[in-house]
Amino acid sequence: MKIKVRQICFIMIAYTAVTKLLIYPTALAELCGRDLLFPALINFFIEGLLVWAVSFLCSRTDKTFFELIEGTLGKIGARIIYGLIAAFFMLSVIIPLFEQKLYVHTIFYDTVPTILVFLPIFIFTVYAASKKFENIGRCADICLPVFIAVTAFLFLMAFNEVQWDNLLPVLQTPAASLFRGVSATAFRFMEPCWMLMFMGYFKYKKGDAAKITLSYAAGALIVLIFLAMFYGIYGEISASRTFAISRTSIYFPAIETIGRIDLIMLYVLEVVMLFALAINIQFAVHAIALCTGYGDRRIISLAVNIALLLILVICEHYFHSIQIVFYRWLWIVTVIFAVLVPALSWALKRRKADDK
Amino acid sequence: MVTLEKNIKSVKSVLTSEDVLVFEFESENKKRFAVIYADGLIDKNMLGELVIKPLHTAEREASAEEIKKLLASPELKDGNKIKDAIKEISAGNAVLFIDGEKDFFIIGVKMPPMRAVAEPPTQVAVHGPREGFIEDIKINLGLIRKRIKSDKLQVKTITVGKQSETAVSIVYIDGVCPKGLPEKIEKEILQNKIDIIPDSSYVAQFITKKPRSLFKRCGTAEKPDIFCAKVSEGRVGIVVDGSPICLTVPYMLAEDFQTAEDYYITSYRATTLRVLRLLSILVGIFLPAIYIAAQLFKIQIIPFQLLLKISSSVAGLALSPSVEMFLTLFVLEVLNEASIRMPKYVGLALSVVGALVLGDTAVKAGIISTPAIIIIAFSAICLYTVPNNVETTTTLRWLFLIIAGSVGPFGIALFTAYLICYLVTEQTYGVPLVAPFAPLIKGDLYDSMVKANMYTLNTRPEMFKPRNKVRLKKDEN
Repeated sequence: MKIKVRQICFIMIAYTAVTKLLIYPTALAELCGRDLLFPALINFFIEGLLVWAVSFLCSRTDKTFFELIEGTLGKIGARIIYGLIAAFFMLSVIIPLFEQKLYVHTIFYDTVPTILVFLPIFIFTVYAASKKFENIGRCADICLPVFIAVTAFLFLMAFNEVQWDNLLPVLQTPAASLFRGVSATAFRFMEPCWMLMFMGYFKYKKGDAAKITLSYAAGALIVLIFLAMFYGIYGEISASRTFAISRTSIYFPAIETIGRIDLIMLYVLEVVMLFALAINIQFAVHAIALCTGYGDRRIISLAVNIALLLILVICEHYFHSIQIVFYRWLWIVTVIFAVLVPALSWALKRRKADDK
Repeated sequence: MVTLEKNIKSVKSVLTSEDVLVFEFESENKKRFAVIYADGLIDKNMLGELVIKPLHTAEREASAEEIKKLLASPELKDGNKIKDAIKEISAGNAVLFIDGEKDFFIIGVKMPPMRAVAEPPTQVAVHGPREGFIEDIKINLGLIRKRIKSDKLQVKTITVGKQSETAVSIVYIDGVCPKGLPEKIEKEILQNKIDIIPDSSYVAQFITKKPRSLFKRCGTAEKPDIFCAKVSEGRVGIVVDGSPICLTVPYMLAEDFQTAEDYYITSYRATTLRVLRLLSILVGIFLPAIYIAAQLFKIQIIPFQLLLKISSSVAGLALSPSVEMFLTLFVLEVLNEASIRMPKYVGLALSVVGALVLGDTAVKAGIISTPAIIIIAFSAICLYTVPNNVETTTTLRWLFLIIAGSVGPFGIALFTAYLICYLVTEQTYGVPLVAPFAPLIKGDLYDSMVKANMYTLNTRPEMFKPRNKVRLKKDEN
């Protein structure tokens, strides 16, 4: 087995949360105002249910998702679906990649640097994505304690500034806006797809589905706390506060004497963000490897990353347009792959190896 | 009949060197003998007492078997091939030839020049034993055997090096060490056909799957107490003749943050010291890089009051912050290298030149700033809290400095992520390099950065997959 259930749980806590701390709060605040917690809750609930469903499916079969599709639709069918999944994972990286670029340029540099400063990220992602699931798991072992320590530190520093009454009264936003909040941010919820990828690569024991789902809930809780704190601090101006995680702690009194210690914490958090970003590319590489039957992951990783690099360089100044495309139309793709496919995975023929 | 002269001639035709001496003598009853040995490698007193003196009574017609009974040497081997005799003489043993006999005796009176057992310079202990390994394999194995008297202690000696024929002993505890591991290590070592083995670091490279890696793959021990403790956990020890540094495998990074003394003091103090060492290493590697990145790209990291001080020190400097830091680090590395290689009596002068001329004058001349010197000096001190890893950590400091000077803080985060990604995949003989953190092994965390008390550590580390897990059992009666 390549990965341990504990490591999947760590991924569910750390990566679920860390991928939703940059532009996600701002986007929700823009669409739903003080009711930003509700679309997040709805998304987390739906995706949490699917995470549980896929995890629980693992108790019924020891096969990988690829083998399950192969058993039902044949080799060609499995390869086609995995090709589509690979494309979906690559698509899902685009917005986080742009987000990362903007975040890095804003937080790491006083002046606006050239894109060249960001491009070394591909050296890391080429390397990381060529590794197998064992590596993903072990990285998560390191990332979770780091993430918990840094997040706790940042949250504690910001806690004093939160005005909780900014969140009241609740549910004043029209249902249509709440739905927009749910749909427009849906592409950030990849966790059920991650579970599909992990299927068959870990040894399922009784209660593991509950453990994984609870870990996902823990990750969700961290995001919800941050969303509440974020709106509690900024109130009406939240929609203009991008990368709020880097600003919420600056009011901490000790900052004046000890300097921007929160920046050091954010730099450490960036390491976790990099792994969270790389995981989708790792899955894309994995899916392509199975789809094509080509074994050298380094080459696949290089090709995938070159494609992403080209998108990043060509579309450098069109982030806003890309975001709109994702908000308006591409959430449907997410619904297909991150909701329907995990749900339909129960319909696939499954049989444990020892039942044959 | 084989004459004594013929045997001597056969040996001397191969061992033509003048330091190979032949001592011919005869008994009171005119039985003739010859001892051949390499000068300076044997204990001549022992040879006289145990071999030459007893043979004075040998009968003229005495057979090889009868002569063997007269010899008082506890280390005695028979031989009949000249090439074996040559090998043993080269190894420092004496060979006794008997007139009229084809057979000869190899007498273990080896006593090569060696230093006394002393405390090693890099593993000094305030509490605990002070004996250290020396360059002689026999003494080293003796020091180990002195501590592990169990019949389960196994020592397998092999010879490596076409020219040096260096003895390499593989030490492990049967029943604790994972099955097949010593054989695997032996195979790895024997695969390498090399001329000479001057030190154990050569063997360390043989048993490393990735010899080009920046990170070492073998643990080292300069003291028998550390070596024995590691072997008793299920590791395999390697003792190399001619080297005071013994090796242990499998290796994990966390073990270099532990010292023998951690086990002789309270667990609270030991934990504090381990955390301190980890923090020191992080500060040592990252501080110069973060300082540069802050100065060049993100000045907000530096507290305002400190920033004012720094700006007054760097005002008017001719060099850019990264070049200034590079220069300071370069000077430190040069001073460090020179102070190790230079004769001791020049060392004082070097300190004066380094501290006063280069440091003080360079600051006054406006070439480098005081904060740069302080940061580099502090970084150097920090890295030496874990001396076994200085080679790696100093290289990492350079790399981070280059990255910080070119890409800035994002480069530091990126390279850190790369290092984590690299380190978590690496393993030596099935044990991950960053165990017990990744993969997380809960039980082993109690003796990693944290040091629990002795009763908590009642089982051997899981990561080594020891065959016998229990190491401490308290008898309740």
